[in-house]
Amino acid sequence: MSTITYLLLQIVMIILLAPLVNGVIGKIKALTQKRTGAPVLQMYFDLHKLMQKSAVVSDVSSWIFRVTPYIVFGTAVVAAMLVPVSVRILPDSIPGDMIMLFYILALGRFFICLAALDTGSAFGGMGSSREVMISSLIEPSVIVVIFTLGLISKSTSVFIIMETMAQRGSSFIGPVTILLFLAMLMILIAETSRIPIDDPATHLELTMVHEAMILEYSGRHLALMEFGAVIKQMMLMTLMVNIFLPLESFVTVAGFPGVALSLLIYLGKMLVLTVIIALIEVNTVKVRFFSIPNLAALSFILAFLGFMQYFVLGRS
Amino acid sequence: MGMFESDSLLCLTIIIYMTAALVALVFSGQQRISILLTQGLCMLAGLSGAASALVFLLSKEEAFHLNLFSSPIPFLSVDIAFDGLAAFFLLVLSMLVFCVSLYSIGYLSHYIGNRNVCAYQILYVLFILSMLLVFVAGNGILFFMAWEAMAIVSYFLVVFESENPETRKAGLIYIVMTNVSAALVLVALMLMYQYTGSFDLSHSAEQIPGNIKNVMFVLFLIGFGTKGGIAPLHVWLPRAHPAAPGPISALMSGIMIKTAIYGLLRFLLDYLGAGHAWWGYVLLALGIFSAVMGVLYAFISKNIKRMLAHSSVENMGILFIGVGIVLVSAAGGAKEVAALALMATLLHCFFHAIYKGSLFLSVGSIHFATHTKNMEELGGLIKRMPVTAVLCLGGALSIAAIVPFSGFVSEWLMYQSIFSSFVLGQAGLNILLIITAAALAMAAALSAGSMIKLYGISFLGRPRSSFAESAVEVPKAMNAGIGILVSLSLLFGLFPRIAVNLLNGIVSDLLGVPIKDQLTGNVLLVSFPLHINQNAISPALALGLCVVVVLLTLLFLRGIGGKYSQRIYGTWDCGFKALTPRMQYSGRAFSKPIKIVFRMFIKSTRELKLVGDAVYHPESIEYNVKTESALEKNVYLPFIRGVSALSEKLKFMIQTGSVHAYLLYIFAAVLVLMLYNRVN
Repeated sequence: MSTITYLLLQIVMIILLAPLVNGVIGKIKALTQKRTGAPVLQMYFDLHKLMQKSAVVSDVSSWIFRVTPYIVFGTAVVAAMLVPVSVRILPDSIPGDMIMLFYILALGRFFICLAALDTGSAFGGMGSSREVMISSLIEPSVIVVIFTLGLISKSTSVFIIMETMAQRGSSFIGPVTILLFLAMLMILIAETSRIPIDDPATHLELTMVHEAMILEYSGRHLALMEFGAVIKQMMLMTLMVNIFLPLESFVTVAGFPGVALSLLIYLGKMLVLTVIIALIEVNTVKVRFFSIPNLAALSFILAFLGFMQYFVLGRS
Repeated sequence: MGMFESDSLLCLTIIIYMTAALVALVFSGQQRISILLTQGLCMLAGLSGAASALVFLLSKEEAFHLNLFSSPIPFLSVDIAFDGLAAFFLLVLSMLVFCVSLYSIGYLSHYIGNRNVCAYQILYVLFILSMLLVFVAGNGILFFMAWEAMAIVSYFLVVFESENPETRKAGLIYIVMTNVSAALVLVALMLMYQYTGSFDLSHSAEQIPGNIKNVMFVLFLIGFGTKGGIAPLHVWLPRAHPAAPGPISALMSGIMIKTAIYGLLRFLLDYLGAGHAWWGYVLLALGIFSAVMGVLYAFISKNIKRMLAHSSVENMGILFIGVGIVLVSAAGGAKEVAALALMATLLHCFFHAIYKGSLFLSVGSIHFATHTKNMEELGGLIKRMPVTAVLCLGGALSIAAIVPFSGFVSEWLMYQSIFSSFVLGQAGLNILLIITAAALAMAAALSAGSMIKLYGISFLGRPRSSFAESAVEVPKAMNAGIGILVSLSLLFGLFPRIAVNLLNGIVSDLLGVPIKDQLTGNVLLVSFPLHINQNAISPALALGLCVVVVLLTLLFLRGIGGKYSQRIYGTWDCGFKALTPRMQYSGRAFSKPIKIVFRMFIKSTRELKLVGDAVYHPESIEYNVKTESALEKNVYLPFIRGVSALSEKLKFMIQTGSVHAYLLYIFAAVLVLMLYNRVN
């Protein structure tokens, strides 16, 4: 499959569908609270409206504040290009390294944290400082998950990891994958600022992390920041479902129908993961800020046990 | 010996440096001219040194020996041995010297009239020359003399601004630690002579028995480790580097501490031949410890130069991890993995010199413009020093290992060499390796965090003091020097193959196997510049893709929302209407969460003083936090107290001050030596 088709498919599946995930999560939360809730497509309406509005920019801020939304959006899109929605369609001219994936996201994070400090607001500094702590504590767990998956597949390339996991067929469920899945789920929650690490729905200074950093943004800048955040979320979720639930390997049809079927399966898997995230949000509360190290440690321990299970005990 | 061969260029370089020192002395009266001439000659010497190294590395010449000077006194000769490793370190040194000297032309202008510029410049040149000799020394004696000269000259440079008691104390700690390091290296060199009968570094080390090799390893490790500022021997580094003038800290952090890596590679890998796997384990463990401790202290520092010094400890830790993997995999027979790890180590050395140099020069500029190194007095410099701000951002992104700067390339190769070493397949090693990877990941994230703190607090927001308020852009020469370094960092980040190809010869010389073919090749613009473990990265492609995405987004936004319009308004203040610079997040507040999480390693003591009678309405509040290293408090201080208590007692027993007793000692010493000779 040519690179152009791959890129187009990525754009359609990840970028255009990304706001939908938030809509579905919102709807599930509303339904569990016996509310009707906002329409599933609400985020699209919001983004459309924000893009038409003019931006309010702080007089203290510098060019860093103004370029950050573009860098955040750009890096999220580039990262999304490295995570294929289906192993049926892999590009041959894009190198997709899992470590690089996270370091590309780090560029976006670096600039968000700087922009938060740029306006001279205490909220921004608070968010920035907290974000740095959370990301540094979760990073060891990320690298252990990447290395363990990489060692199973002899490479840290996203494509090769996904293919190897798909070739394992029905044995994709095992102690190692379950442990790594749970570790990855916590990484996903931390990276996407969701409950119990952060609460995307709050604007209370005591608790907010990601929202505090983008507090000063408005108009199209805000649209890009929020769009970038959901693309990153979609990308990480895609990474998870395609590595830990390689169901499209059961599709036996070849050619175009096979691809279409695997995309349908992909959407189904994404729905399942979305429901899991929504249920976690409904059933837990945001933890105290200084309990986050415990969650990060838990994630690291799960990842480490997964590693030990496979490489020291030699059982998959 | 042609004009443009590396040997003649090397001699030329040494001659230009000597001329530069002479010029500084001759023109000591006219300071402005002396600065221009001396620094200009240093730039020239930097160019010629880099040319010498490049000619050697590109033409794949054979290693050569030069005897510049031989004296009738045994061993006292200037023997130069130039091979790939020496050429590489000479290249790093020369590039840095070129940029630092360019920067100095501007920086030294504030010394004119109030300091001894002549002494500074002579010391500066001697410092560079001694480092050069360390890298090209062909025998142990010359190596040791250059090593000691480097230590002493740099001591004088550290205490150059000696009116500050902090600086003098830093100098004292530095000279003590660095001499301990030199003493251990000397003992190791003496052992080397004892067993091989030669100080020649190209001599075979086969006659040295295994257990003596182990002893030499420990001596070299502690000796070089102290010089390299590896934790727990790093206490001098975060004191001495911030105390020195800007250009000197750039040279010290950029290249002087790398002499430790040069020493380890030269003696452990090249000379002793990569002995046992446990050597590697020790280096790995020390590397992990240094990387994590260094970055933690960097993150909590509020002195901008001290933050960078702690970050050098972290990076030395990463380099130790690299050397550790080289030794472990070479001992385990996995030569290809060792080659990859050696490449990662050399690249990290190279890139760290470039971006740490640029960062130290940038904060030197901040100090030059604001006369403060305290982050809590800075802020808003991006509007007052726009060029410095851009250059410092480049350095910060590089050290945070962020795509597409050079820091990411060496970090990625380091991860890949750790990943590759799992082929050795020992359970214990596997666990150590995964912990190394995790530590490296956390160090990288925290290092990014400390750069966010450094940049965000000092360049962004509102100015927190009148110094920051009235800062102006520094002279152009200073920014030019930093600019070259930052551009190099970006160049190597986008096209890493340039550097990989350059260093491939060294790796194959030292380990006997070249780096894997996927990493080399003469193509500049291949789509996968780094390709290893069936896996590749292409920072240039990622950057290109990102630029395209941003351009398309701009077009799209224009289509959907029309022309960009913005309204300038105050920062959101909850309707309070009186935000002051003091209400911004401070550097201390920024690092507070990490400090709380890692309170095990970072001890702070707080002091709260309320002035006034009423407890609930004090007239003023004094609040003081002192952070000290748990290591210094629990290990170093008791040791120092013990030593001084012991010498206090010995004063009355051995060193009484009586000449008679001293004559007796001399007599006894002579007698013992005579007896020893008689017995042997």
